[in-house]
Formats: sequence, C-alpha cells, structure tokens
Amino acid sequence: MLSIVRITLKGIFRDRIFQGIMALSLFFVFIPSVASLSMRQVTELSTTLSLSLISFIMLLLAVFLGATSIWKDIERRYTFSVLSLPVSRSTYLVGRFLGIAIFMLIAALFLGSAAIVSIKIASLTYPPARPLLWFAIITSIVFDALKYIIVVAVSMTLATVSTSFFLPVFGAISIFMAGTVTQQVFDYLHTPSAQAAVSAAIRKAALVLYYLLPNLGGFDLKVHAIYAIPLNTQGLLLTGVYFLAYTGIVMSVGALLFARREMK
Amino acid sequence: MKAIETTGLCKQFKGKKMTRVDALKSLDLQIEKGEVFGFLGPNGAGKSTTIKLIMGLLKPTAGTASIMGKDSSTTDSRRQVGFLPENPAFYDYLSAEEYITFVGSQFSMESSLLKRRTEDVLKRLDLWEARKRPMRGYSKGMVQRVGLAQTLVHDPDVYILDEPMSGLDPIGRALVKDIILDLKRRGKCVFFSTHITDDVEKVCDRVGVIVKGSLVAVDRVENIMRSGVEGYLVHLRFQDSASRNFAGIEPLRTAGSTSEFYVSCSAFNAFMGEVNAAGVEVALVETKRRDLEDFFLSLVNKP
Repeated sequence: MLSIVRITLKGIFRDRIFQGIMALSLFFVFIPSVASLSMRQVTELSTTLSLSLISFIMLLLAVFLGATSIWKDIERRYTFSVLSLPVSRSTYLVGRFLGIAIFMLIAALFLGSAAIVSIKIASLTYPPARPLLWFAIITSIVFDALKYIIVVAVSMTLATVSTSFFLPVFGAISIFMAGTVTQQVFDYLHTPSAQAAVSAAIRKAALVLYYLLPNLGGFDLKVHAIYAIPLNTQGLLLTGVYFLAYTGIVMSVGALLFARREMK
Repeated sequence: MKAIETTGLCKQFKGKKMTRVDALKSLDLQIEKGEVFGFLGPNGAGKSTTIKLIMGLLKPTAGTASIMGKDSSTTDSRRQVGFLPENPAFYDYLSAEEYITFVGSQFSMESSLLKRRTEDVLKRLDLWEARKRPMRGYSKGMVQRVGLAQTLVHDPDVYILDEPMSGLDPIGRALVKDIILDLKRRGKCVFFSTHITDDVEKVCDRVGVIVKGSLVAVDRVENIMRSGVEGYLVHLRFQDSASRNFAGIEPLRTAGSTSEFYVSCSAFNAFMGEVNAAGVEVALVETKRRDLEDFFLSLVNKP
C-alpha cells in the first residue's frame, strides 16, 4: 500500500492544476494589508481571512483530488494495469485515499505556516485587544484539514460507482454544504417551535440524513481561533473519534462498492 | 496444474432496452505451462473480455477462471502473471523507470534485484535513454514497450498479453516476437490475443479461434499448417529444352529449360515416380497451402 501512497503523492505534486490551486496561497501576502483597511480588529480580521483562505483552498483541493483521482484512473485506463498487479481493490482505494489525506495534511501545514506568519505580522503592526491563542489557531487549521479529508473520502466513494466526474464533484460539494448545517438543522428540529411546525415524517427524514451525512459543523473552530476562546478538550477528542469512525465507514463502503465494479 | 484454465466461462453485458449481450459463451480452455497460445478472433469476438475475466477485472456471469491453479477472483492468482492490457496506459506523470520500480515493488521484489531487472528490461526494450522522462511525452510504441517491460520485470511464469504488437513498428514487432520466442525457450507460458494471423503462425504452439463469444477451434499450429497443404509447385529442369507431361499433368509455364507444374496432393506420388523414371532434374518443390489466415477466415465466415 505504501508504494500506492507514494505514487499518489508524486502525482499530486506533479499536477499542474494542484500547482495552480496552491498558487492561491500567494494571497496570504496581502492579508495584513487588506485587514488594515478595516481600521479596527485588524488581527481578528487577519485571522478570519487567513483561516477562510485556507478553507477555500482546502475545499478546492479536496474536491479536485478526491473526486478526480479514482475517476481519472478509470477513465484513462490506469486501473487495468494497476489492478492486474497483486493488489486488492480495497488496498488500491485506501492507498489512493491515504496519499490524498497525507497531502491534505501537508497542505494544511504549508498553508497554516503562511497563515501564522500573516497573522503574526498583523498582530505586531496592530496589537489585538485579546491575546492570540496560537493553539486554537493551529487546532482550527488541523480540524479544517480533517473536515476536508472527510470530503475526500465521500467524493472517492462516490467515484467508485460513477462513470462520470459529475457525481463525485457535485456530490462532494453538495454533501459538504449539507454537512456544514446538519447539526443546526438537528438542533432546530428539537426546538418546541419546530416540533409544532414540522411534520413527523420530515423530522424523521431529517434525522436519517443527520446520521447519514457527515456532521462537519463540529470541525469548525474558527470562532475559537479568531476570538481566542479556549477549546474544549473532550469535544475535540469526540470530534477526532467521529472523524476516524466516519472516514472508516465511508471508505469501507467505498471499498465494497469498488470491489463489485466491472472494469470494462 | 494448468497455467491458465477456464471452465464454462460466460459473460453477459447489459445491452440497450434491457437486453442482454452474450460477450462470452461457456469458454473451456486449458493452457499448459511452457506453452505459447495465440488467441485469434476478429474485433468484438470476446478476446479482451476473456482476458479481463482471467485477470479478475470483470466478474463472470457463470463459470470459473484460474491462473496456476488459483482462482482469478483472488489477488494471489496475479502473483505469477505479467499482464499487458490492450492499448495500455500508465500513470503518465511517472517515468518508465519509476513505473517499472512501482510494479516490481508490488511483487515484493528485493530492491537490488529490482534495480538490476529494471535496468535489464528497459535496455532490452530500448527505453533506457528515455527512462527518466515522464511517460506523458512517450509515443504510442514507447508506451507499448513500457507495457511489455512491466510484464517482464518480475520474471513471472505466465504472461497474458492483449494485442502485444498493437501500435508497434516492424522493428518493435520483431522485438516482441523475439521476446515471446525467448520466453518459450525458457519454458514460460504466454497467452496472447491478436487478430494478426502471421504473429500466431510464427511464435505459437497452439491457437484458439474465438468468434462471436464462442471458441470455434483449438489446435496446434503445425496441425493446421499440415492440414492446409493443397498441392505442390514442382520446377523441373530438362536437358534437351523440350518440356513434356508427367502423370497427365501439363506444365503451367516454361522458361528456357525449366518448366513449372502444379501437382495436387493425390497426384504427387505418381508424378514424381514418372519424373524419376525419366531422369529429369527436380529444381524446386514448393508446398502450396492454405495459410493460417485462410483457416481463420474460413472459421470466421462460416455461416
């Protein structure tokens, strides 16, 4: 599996589209100057902009890499040669996934370092009212990466059954958008007003979707990072366990589906 | 234990409007170790489907396939196989050297052996100079040669090659034939599909012909060649420049002192008897036969 991880990483680093996406990180250079235009809360705004830029780049990477890796391998007939080696389909799928997941963490490290430099420059130029909580900023970036690794897992699983890139690309984007609000919908449905306004059938359907779709809300720690709110260690641990469990289940489903796929 | 074996192998694909298309109908095939087997068939006959079923890339609708006694659906069955897909494509961002190394690592080859074997196969297939360049810059023939190199690197016992000569120039085709003959000498089993009869005639021990998903003939190439003899073209040289008839057969043409006769198989002995008795010099005897292509076409065009 290690050699599959290795060639996956080589493929990403040599891809021109990836290089184009990573070029977006040049925007970090402008963040302190743009934030200074607000005239107040410059550091907070720098943090917000930096974390949002990381999120945007990571989303592009997750959709681009997750949705196209398996699809492209099948479309370009690479799978005929690779799957005829003594490699099980699940090993191949998990190897590809781990390669992308490792890359997402490397990208988070690179983008996070750029963000930290950018925030530090802003904080030195315009000292913030609240002290910067570096641990919260770093944790926020790490959990952001975990969130997008889930998106990668989902899009790769969709690619195992799809014959075009539409399902993995748009499916991943839709699931990402839905996944960021599932917790809010769940909380709303448990309020007295929702109990009265929403029918039981819709509530049940929403509950099914709540468990089925990834709950990405828990991975969003931007508010803690921006306003230096201390993190809840137990909550982080639970989110970490959720990440492992959800990714494991999604990839297992993907491996099962991929094992049944005909390589015509 | 057979090198490759299929029993009642069937494959149906979904067609248009809920119909089903029989791509392969109950294929029974046994290929021995050390045998070179040519799998002939026109386009769409089911050659690639058979190969994909043997390699576990497709799941059979019915029947089984095995390689060296191991069921094709298992990863283990691919341990002793070198497989070249039809119109192969490899990760084009990798160089030939990187890809061959990747393939060798999948067969758990020891690193110094892998390095040595990689160098050997790249040199043999004339890819050594281009080994560091990404494959996206390779010509079709070069990619095909990378495909062959990756089948050879781990020195397996069984080779399954889907249209190995496709996309190659005459030099490349001659190289592939040499490689197959070398594998044959070394006791390896080679199963390759083609629709070019000349390839089969030159390198195969046995040939199977598949038409519309059914195996219509399997025989040794030498048997086919022998059974295809239709007659002989005999060149006789006369001392006195006067041509004559033997066993009632007239010459087809005469040039100077030499005459050319077409003699059927049944008349050959009588003809040669009279020629010997007359003390005429036999300059040349050519066998006139149906070649493998005629044999193949007669099967394909059979109603």
